[in-house]
Amino acid sequence: MSKARNKFSMLLLTVTGAALIAAGCSGGTSDGEKTPDEGKSSGSGKKTEILFWSPFSGSDGPFMKKIVDKYNGSQDQYKLNFVIQPNGEYYKQLDVALSTGKESPDLMIMHVDQVPTYASKDQLQPIDDLAAGAGINKADFAEAATDYSTLDGKWYSIPLDIHPLVMYYNKDLFEKAGIAAAPTNRTEFDDAVQKLTDKGNGVYGYAVPTLWPQQFIFPTLVWQNGGELWNGTDVAYNSPEAVEMVQWLRGMVDSGVSPANVQQDGENTLFLQGKNAIQFNGPWMKSQFEEAGLNFGVAPVPQIGKAKQAVFAGSHGFVVPKSVTDEKMTAGIGDFLKYVSTNSMDWAESGQALASKPMLESDAFKALEFQSSVASAFPYVQFAPNVLNWGTVSEPIWGELNNALLGKKDAQKALDDAVAKSQQALKK
Amino acid sequence: MKTTLTSRFTSFLFILPYLAAFSIFLLFPILYGVYISLHNFELLSKDYEFVGLANYINIFTPGTYINDIFFRGLWVTAQFVLFSVPLLIIVGLALAMLVNALPARIRGLFRTFYFLPYALSASVMAVIWLMMFDTNAGFLNSMLAKLGITGIPWLTDTPWAWISLILTTLWWTIGFNMIIFINALNEVPEDYYEAASIDGANAWHKFTKITLPSIRPVMLFIMITSTIASFNIYAQPFLLTRGGPGDTTKVLLINVLDQAFLRKEVGSASAMAIVMALIIIIISIVQFKLTSGRKGEA
Repeated sequence: MSKARNKFSMLLLTVTGAALIAAGCSGGTSDGEKTPDEGKSSGSGKKTEILFWSPFSGSDGPFMKKIVDKYNGSQDQYKLNFVIQPNGEYYKQLDVALSTGKESPDLMIMHVDQVPTYASKDQLQPIDDLAAGAGINKADFAEAATDYSTLDGKWYSIPLDIHPLVMYYNKDLFEKAGIAAAPTNRTEFDDAVQKLTDKGNGVYGYAVPTLWPQQFIFPTLVWQNGGELWNGTDVAYNSPEAVEMVQWLRGMVDSGVSPANVQQDGENTLFLQGKNAIQFNGPWMKSQFEEAGLNFGVAPVPQIGKAKQAVFAGSHGFVVPKSVTDEKMTAGIGDFLKYVSTNSMDWAESGQALASKPMLESDAFKALEFQSSVASAFPYVQFAPNVLNWGTVSEPIWGELNNALLGKKDAQKALDDAVAKSQQALKK
Repeated sequence: MKTTLTSRFTSFLFILPYLAAFSIFLLFPILYGVYISLHNFELLSKDYEFVGLANYINIFTPGTYINDIFFRGLWVTAQFVLFSVPLLIIVGLALAMLVNALPARIRGLFRTFYFLPYALSASVMAVIWLMMFDTNAGFLNSMLAKLGITGIPWLTDTPWAWISLILTTLWWTIGFNMIIFINALNEVPEDYYEAASIDGANAWHKFTKITLPSIRPVMLFIMITSTIASFNIYAQPFLLTRGGPGDTTKVLLINVLDQAFLRKEVGSASAMAIVMALIIIIISIVQFKLTSGRKGEA
């Protein structure tokens, strides 16, 4: 009837409904219900069907589909059924599917920083045996990703790509300001953004985002400056190192290098209009800039902090739910993953830098200028702290950082407040 | 009239389809929500135990995480309700009267124009208004700059963030209230106005003495549905301000959904949702009593 009613029942339906499905099964799910795996892989002559879930609902979906199609065409034992779930809903859908065991995936893409949470909830199976059986060598992948997804000596995720924060810059504006090369350290960066700022024409050197993608930028700067987000036992993002980096960001607003009051995506809008010379964002932005016809360059994020080079990254990997036990199924999954580890150039075409070393060292990959630049940061990439429910624990940072960057709170006070809220979230 | 068993049975048959749909889609989920809220229910956890009212007690125990996010969110939502409901009623009625005063030929056209945004999805609404509101590159500020007004922080400072959220809400949802008001206005008998004109009443008198009393039941309906809708505010702050600046526009539903799907603690999230529903029900009853009481006196 009315929107009011609809929204009201939506609220109840989402919270209660999703939980309802979860409840209906978490009580009763027994091994007996898990037999559909066998049903799918009915033996003689028929192909074993493998249900493969991914969150690639953006422009990256077709690239993964191409790999799956090629694999399905390359042999006649296994058939992968490729499913794309909406990116924003992916983990909700996954939670429900895993809880009910119905239409639950046999193989799925998972962001590496989700692995600790799902492994601790006993949802994933170690893939050491599966990899060994298929001839997949752990040493053939970027260490950052395999180390992270190895918990208590067990390996849980075969990495597909690593996507660190990168620096995009407007080549036309660089030329106009007489800057020959992309900055690589704080002095060069501070100098460049001063030169690039042209108030008369409404051009800014670096528009400071106040919301997303600070989730990538803030950790990068803190680590570079020698700080930590998590000190092993507690949240630690109110350290002097962190505060100094927030002050540095806010300083650019005060000095006019950045406009004030940048809203969600505001820095990107300005970048697309040619009025923001530099932005830090993920490799996934590449296609948007190309479509806009921007003359842009890409380079690793400069070392702004005083301690070391570091950059925050995400990573897609393949994981197998604990419920998948059928031998044919696991053999098929192994076969596909072995194929992907040496045949994933299509995925690189989507703009991603691959995590497989044989692929990284191939001439075909080296010929890709953008992706190679992204991959050059692999030796020092870092992922979110390996802490259960890190997403919720760290959530208070973003609101308080927003306060600090908008100039509503002193940097130290904002980060102290964020730490206090996070500590409360840790206690429950 | 005496009701026989057969007539009772036939009337029961008539409401059966609705009853079935109501039970499956509303009653059962609500009861299940109550059940879940009494357990320490976590998504992906195999076992969960009965914890009685612990989830509810947590909400009302100062110092707990749940208490903090519930009441901080509730206060933000309450502010939104206070600002938005009067405007949703006044602007809805004003638009209805305006559209009704148009010549019949173009009336339908404008009714459609004003109703159109109501049919848009939240994400489309957000894309449009992010482009409108952008401080440094948006449409509104570019227009205002020509008048010499620069740099209004539509989404990054208070009270502007509130003004923007309410503007967006009005634009997005006012069509529904307007259509209901138009129907109500059309129900008022034309002779009342004619009689009043003969007696020398001016437009203001006609509005306050005839229009308003005649549409009072519809007014009550709009007030209650608008209040419920405003309590359930989610998409506008979630997509436009992301709860900012800081967490000044982080409404209760954002916190409830975070609790359910980010923390995966569906038990306490359900308890939060149910307390929120109870608050909405109490407020609706109070509104109903107050408004219908006044009518009785008249």
